[in-house]
Amino acid sequence: MHSLANTADDQLRRNLPLILWVLLGLVVIPVLYIAGVISIGTVNKLGRYLSFALVAIGLDLIWGYAGILGLCQALFFCLGGYAMGMYLAHHGGPEGIIDKTGWKLPACLFVVYPYKVGEVPGDAMVPWFWKPFWSLPNTIFLGLLIPGIFAFIIGYFGFRSRVRGVYFAILTQAITVAAQNFFTMNNMKFGGTNGLTRFAHICIARHPHGADVCQQSALSFDLSTDTVQFTLYLLTTMAIFVTYLLYCYITQTRLGRILVAVRDAENTLRFSGYKPYVYKLFAFILAAVTAGLGGLLYVPQMKIITPYNMGAERSILIVIFVAVGGRGTLSGALVGTLAVNLLYDFLTSFNQPIPLTNMLFPGGLTFAKAWPIVLGLLFLAVVLGYPNGLVKLPQHLLGKFKKAPDSDQIGAHQ
Amino acid sequence: MTANKTFPLLALCLFFCLTQLLADSAEVGSAAVEEIQQILLKLGDKKSSIRKTAIMGLAKYDHPGLEALMNAFKLRQLYVWNDNVVILCPKIEGKTAALQDPLTQEPITDVSGKQFQVTVTELKQIRPGRPERGLAENVKSLFKLFSPDEETQLSGIKRCGEAKTIKGLGKLTDLALEKLDDLATGNQSKKIQRLALESALLIRISRISLDAGSTHLKLVTQLGHTKSQRSQKFLEKSLAQLEKSSALTPQIQRTYQAAIAKIRTYQQFISLLGNLFRGLSLGSVLILMALGLAITFGLMGVINMAHGELMMIGAYTTYVVQLVFAHTPETPNNWYFIFALPASFLMSATIGLLIEFFVVRHLYKRPLESLLATWGVGLILIQMIRLRFGDNIGVNAPSWGRGGIEVIQDLVFPYGRCFIIAICAFSVGAMYYLMRCTKVGLMMRATMQNREMASSLGVNTGFVDRCTFAFGSGIAGIAGYAWTLIGGVTPDMGQTNFIVDSFLVVVTGGVGEIIGVICAGLGIGGLTKTLEPMTGTIWAKILLLIAVVIFIQFKPSGLFAAKGRLADD
Repeated sequence: MHSLANTADDQLRRNLPLILWVLLGLVVIPVLYIAGVISIGTVNKLGRYLSFALVAIGLDLIWGYAGILGLCQALFFCLGGYAMGMYLAHHGGPEGIIDKTGWKLPACLFVVYPYKVGEVPGDAMVPWFWKPFWSLPNTIFLGLLIPGIFAFIIGYFGFRSRVRGVYFAILTQAITVAAQNFFTMNNMKFGGTNGLTRFAHICIARHPHGADVCQQSALSFDLSTDTVQFTLYLLTTMAIFVTYLLYCYITQTRLGRILVAVRDAENTLRFSGYKPYVYKLFAFILAAVTAGLGGLLYVPQMKIITPYNMGAERSILIVIFVAVGGRGTLSGALVGTLAVNLLYDFLTSFNQPIPLTNMLFPGGLTFAKAWPIVLGLLFLAVVLGYPNGLVKLPQHLLGKFKKAPDSDQIGAHQ
Repeated sequence: MTANKTFPLLALCLFFCLTQLLADSAEVGSAAVEEIQQILLKLGDKKSSIRKTAIMGLAKYDHPGLEALMNAFKLRQLYVWNDNVVILCPKIEGKTAALQDPLTQEPITDVSGKQFQVTVTELKQIRPGRPERGLAENVKSLFKLFSPDEETQLSGIKRCGEAKTIKGLGKLTDLALEKLDDLATGNQSKKIQRLALESALLIRISRISLDAGSTHLKLVTQLGHTKSQRSQKFLEKSLAQLEKSSALTPQIQRTYQAAIAKIRTYQQFISLLGNLFRGLSLGSVLILMALGLAITFGLMGVINMAHGELMMIGAYTTYVVQLVFAHTPETPNNWYFIFALPASFLMSATIGLLIEFFVVRHLYKRPLESLLATWGVGLILIQMIRLRFGDNIGVNAPSWGRGGIEVIQDLVFPYGRCFIIAICAFSVGAMYYLMRCTKVGLMMRATMQNREMASSLGVNTGFVDRCTFAFGSGIAGIAGYAWTLIGGVTPDMGQTNFIVDSFLVVVTGGVGEIIGVICAGLGIGGLTKTLEPMTGTIWAKILLLIAVVIFIQFKPSGLFAAKGRLADD
């Protein structure tokens, strides 16, 4: 009886964060929005932060549980993002031209189209790799598959030759930098530095590729309307919910325990007859797919995707989300993402210079300018000061509070 | 005005002064100067043909002032004064004009030393037409051949070989050819001889038609021997023209193709050498960066992501020293560059010391955490510098840093890059000496091999760590200092350009081994610069990365991996 109650209590405690999150995300925020307390702008912002949270949860699985610091999560995020971006650009505004094969060249590509010598605007063609992203189901499928394939390639060659720890981090960072350069090039036909933009509609119906079919269809939705943005927020929250459940399940099975073993004693694991690289590869691919999902959901809410989003600093930013929230706890990834982003929001809302800073910097320092400094200090604080993260903070404080009576009890039993 | 009243007297006086001045200043006799004056008067003639003949006529005299005169002619700064003397008047303000000697550009003064002022109405501007200006431009390159200044002479030699100039000079090409032949065989520098020969050949071949048969082909072969790019372009162009006409025989085609192939082989060889040299200098900067990284990683098991920022600090210190010494391209003060070397070393070393004390010391053997914390440090440093100095600053190389040595024909080693290689060699030497021949180095190696044992034998490991870290940081500062000679300086230069590349060097070379760092640095630098011209910068980066990944598949712990007990699991 005693033990039964104990396990039920355990179950509840373990799932408490999940229940709280679901309540907050799916009930409280929508109610507040419908009641008119918070604006659609705020909901949209939360939706965007939650798409980052998807990436953070993935990173938490590979870093917090399996101990692999992958610095290419932003790349996977952007692979999903660019997939959605190409889809939305296909159905974008009326600008752009119809090329010779009858495909509509989207405005964002048309503007920066890399013409060869002697080509005129009439010769511009929709590149072959844009074409699969015409329909929504294809886009979603590819937006998840492509990051997975990339993760497989990186992971297979990395983990099999036992590249680990810092080496893996640096290697993945180098890959991210190379990919960013690749997407920045204009003649790769990904929109160059400007990225993909000028989105207008989400079209659910199947239709032939042509000029303005999309805008007349009954199943096409204007991206800029409040309802669509609200729906996207709800979709993101549900995606988080499902991912969270899946990850909870994974971490509680044998697979999750093997991942922790990879983190703590990889060689012991190998000598016990396991192949650690298989498990690492699985976790890495899963995290990449989750990041791709985040990208798919982020782009229609942000309405732009640029190569800046896949920079090395973006990947490190995701790491700081997880570190601030608390690595090794799935809810930590969520808390950290929201906390850092909301802090950014809060600090950059001040326009006044910080007092005394004009002594060192000409014209003083606003928080917007000083944000990288704040972020750097946050890094230092989390790594040096409190590695457990925000999630453990209440427990820690509570534990200090309770410690004395607890030890008394133990003493009394003995 | 007074000038009107005293005109006869003044005119006489001026004419006297002018001829006197010209006679004094010019090496050629006053007779020649008078002749030149007479020809100059014809420049103002109404008839275009007379003006042209006048320009041609000037070419006879090898007076050094003629080139500037032609310039003034083109810019319409020459005036005829009272129909009997040509003077130079660069600027007219109001109604009076100050006069200058057209050949020497010196102000014409009266007896009291005051510059002559005359009213504008007495002057008649010489207005060259379009054809004369073209001719003047071409004649200018001819005049340059006689210039005592080597640079001007070189540019003149080059211009004389251009198809446009040859056509424009017309009959005067004989004169140019004569002088060029002189230069080609005289005792001038090798470069002048070479270029003069090339230009002379180009003039000859453009004047000899294909009918000349073997003479023409001989010239083609000789052009092939010059191995210059200009000859290659000329030959390719004429071959293309010949292919369109019917005059092309297999023998002619063969001769042309042989000459072109000869030049092309040489130029490819030269560009390969040039790329390797650029790779060598880039590799030197990478080595300087990677030395500190590799040693701190080997010694303390920490990764310093702020290492790129220490390099940036070195570059900015150089900038600040430049400001202090007030060095600008116009008013060079080259001492700054000598003082900037210790300054950038010390500055970066100090900041490295602070980083070690406040951050890195707490993160021994926790590389991932140290990576994140030092990344944070890097962010702070970048933003501080960006807010303090702005995004783009110009470090001006010292005046001796410009230019280069031409080792063999068309292969130039810029002084800046040579200096970087020297600095790198010096730093590596110093590092090696420190590690192998000093007591600190001995302690350093002991700590690296077995920290506990070294500590129990009385080595102050904390002190050793601090010294190593500071030294490595200082060398990164020197890398930044050296980089100012060949690259741009921005606050995020370390993060975007160098940190990843230098880590690749560490990964490929193996941790904690100087020799590995050197090999990998040169290899990666050389490979980057060899690939870049073939594939473009970004593809070169991607290919390099793939190469490194493949390399790691076979040698997971780098070229010179620690063996035995030193190796981690």
